Amino acid sequence: MDSRVVLFLLLSTGFFLSGCDSPEADFRLDRVYIQKTLGEPENGEEVQALTTQLQNLKDVMVGLFGTPDDPHVPQLADVEVGEVLDPQLIRMAAGPVGRHEDGTPRGLYREHCAHCHGVSGDGAGPTAAFLNPYPRDYRMAKFKFKSTPLGVKPTHDDLRRILIDGIPGTAMPSFRLLADDEIDALAHYVKYLAIRGEVERRLVNLLTELDEGEPVLDPLVRREAADVFQEQLGMVRETVGMVVGQWENASAQVTEVPTPPEDWMSEESIRHGRDLFFGTVANCVKCHGQLALGDGETGDYDDWTKEIDDKNPALQAKEYLALGVQEPRILNPRPIQPRNLRAGIYRGGRRPVDLFLRVKNGIEGTPMPAAPATGLTSEDIWSIIAYVRSLPHEPMSKPEGHGIEYGRERL
Amino acid sequence: MRRIHLLFASLALTVLMSGVADAQGWGSIKGRFIYDGKPPAPQPIAVTKDQQFCGDKKLVDESLVVDAKGGLKNVIVYIYVGPGDTAPQVHPDLAKQAPVTFDNKNCRFDPRVATVQTGQTLILSNSDPIAHNTKVDAFNQPINPLLPPGAKLPQKFTAPERLPARASCSIHPWMTGWIVVKEHPYMAVTDENGEFEIKNIPEGNWTFQFWHEKAGYLDTVSMNGKSVEWKRGRVELNIKDKAALNLGEVKVPAAAF
Repeated sequence: MDSRVVLFLLLSTGFFLSGCDSPEADFRLDRVYIQKTLGEPENGEEVQALTTQLQNLKDVMVGLFGTPDDPHVPQLADVEVGEVLDPQLIRMAAGPVGRHEDGTPRGLYREHCAHCHGVSGDGAGPTAAFLNPYPRDYRMAKFKFKSTPLGVKPTHDDLRRILIDGIPGTAMPSFRLLADDEIDALAHYVKYLAIRGEVERRLVNLLTELDEGEPVLDPLVRREAADVFQEQLGMVRETVGMVVGQWENASAQVTEVPTPPEDWMSEESIRHGRDLFFGTVANCVKCHGQLALGDGETGDYDDWTKEIDDKNPALQAKEYLALGVQEPRILNPRPIQPRNLRAGIYRGGRRPVDLFLRVKNGIEGTPMPAAPATGLTSEDIWSIIAYVRSLPHEPMSKPEGHGIEYGRERL
Repeated sequence: MRRIHLLFASLALTVLMSGVADAQGWGSIKGRFIYDGKPPAPQPIAVTKDQQFCGDKKLVDESLVVDAKGGLKNVIVYIYVGPGDTAPQVHPDLAKQAPVTFDNKNCRFDPRVATVQTGQTLILSNSDPIAHNTKVDAFNQPINPLLPPGAKLPQKFTAPERLPARASCSIHPWMTGWIVVKEHPYMAVTDENGEFEIKNIPEGNWTFQFWHEKAGYLDTVSMNGKSVEWKRGRVELNIKDKAALNLGEVKVPAAAF
């Protein structure tokens, strides 16, 4: 069962890689996380030890997940990925853009996603730096807009919905025009990149527990010390199993959204929602501001930016760049803005059920907290949503000097 | 049938008991951490939110707290369980762990560092008349509940955390705390004097790990005037039955912070 991993390791430790003209697409290691977790090596010996470990880590990752051109799902004893990752759909999304003889597409991810989200899913594709907000880095396996509580992975349908609807207010477009199986293929590929990314992070964590220079999985000891190899393999298996398991369990943990009361949009309900908005139980006002323009607490960062540094990402980003950690490219850290609730744009969707989930569960990876377990009923949440939806629309910008001349008369 | 049930029950009990305590000795460890340098003056915090309530609380930056005698507060000490290692056995006195409270009080976290065992209840509470939220950036189980005044939210962590997880309040950006989650109860935090003690540790060799929020792993310290290297803040020590291992004064150079 583990043969593919082992085979790859054996091959990679040899001199198998023959010459090739154009560089093959490659998954990049998460240098920022590695730097943050393992620290800067202090002398030549430590540099050597770390280089050995990271080369091994890269080999193990290729053994488990393949390459962008030739991806595969982890094949490990006791790890069932069938429910979560569909190898066939993943292959449909992977590789260079093109079509098979029968017309079925391949390379969908590189056609539609990679320029922003990057080949490795690091959210640092060529166009990323020009976008605000930045494209999602999947490798932390955190997703904002989903039907499950904080800390639980999104469901397949959650990812599908983002692909189909896009994310209003961001550069993420709708892919509604793609065929249904193509949407499925991309959702599976995003899961593949997220699982791959989290496994890599967990294996980097594992490196902190190993001796200096000790590899995650050492094919050389396989014959000489089978028990050591089995122990190492057990560690890898446990890591992959844990990550895949979280995705498997997601659909069982979907938050139930109760039907709103009939009068939830009544004036009385809106007034109640307003009291809650300003009150100390829901406390929306602290971040979203008195006028709900998103101008309350504004000095915080999201978790992807805090990855660079918790307190001062801008300064730390400069230090990383000075150290030569340029792969993946570090995007200039920006503080996270509480949402302006008067623009009429809701990133996670504008349906009442979307807004309910945002308030009830909070938004993963951001300062937006989950509603308190006690003291705020579902009816209260519906009232808050009614209040927010009742707020007067505030255009994002008001160009001066242009009045009705640009308006079009309604026929 | 009933007899079989009883048999199974007693078997299960035996298995359970053996997981809790074995016929073996128990010892303890203690020590005192010293900031080796001129203690820094506490820096006041600029209160930008809820000034009516938080403004007069004389809040200071608590990321490094040193007393007049150099005692270093909030050093986190625990038994390190490596991959594939079994966690230390739990002394019968420690089998039942009371809930630990992590309070939002006077616009700061009290205590700054809370330690919980997996499965143990951590009560996230708010004693202030204003709302807080407690965002715990745990690797395995991130949480971010809003805590209205008077809230008491029981929370359990199912998986141990490799590093102390940062707790913050998104409403009051100066608030920082730490939650330590391990699969065993053998952990401690140094007090105002820089002292810690962990009792009822099974006898034998254990690797201890030492961490401080500003210094990270304490990897270079000095004991009895000699500099000691603790790779990644780890050192293996022998715990003897009915004996207290005293590390004495452990000095951490000011440059580490």
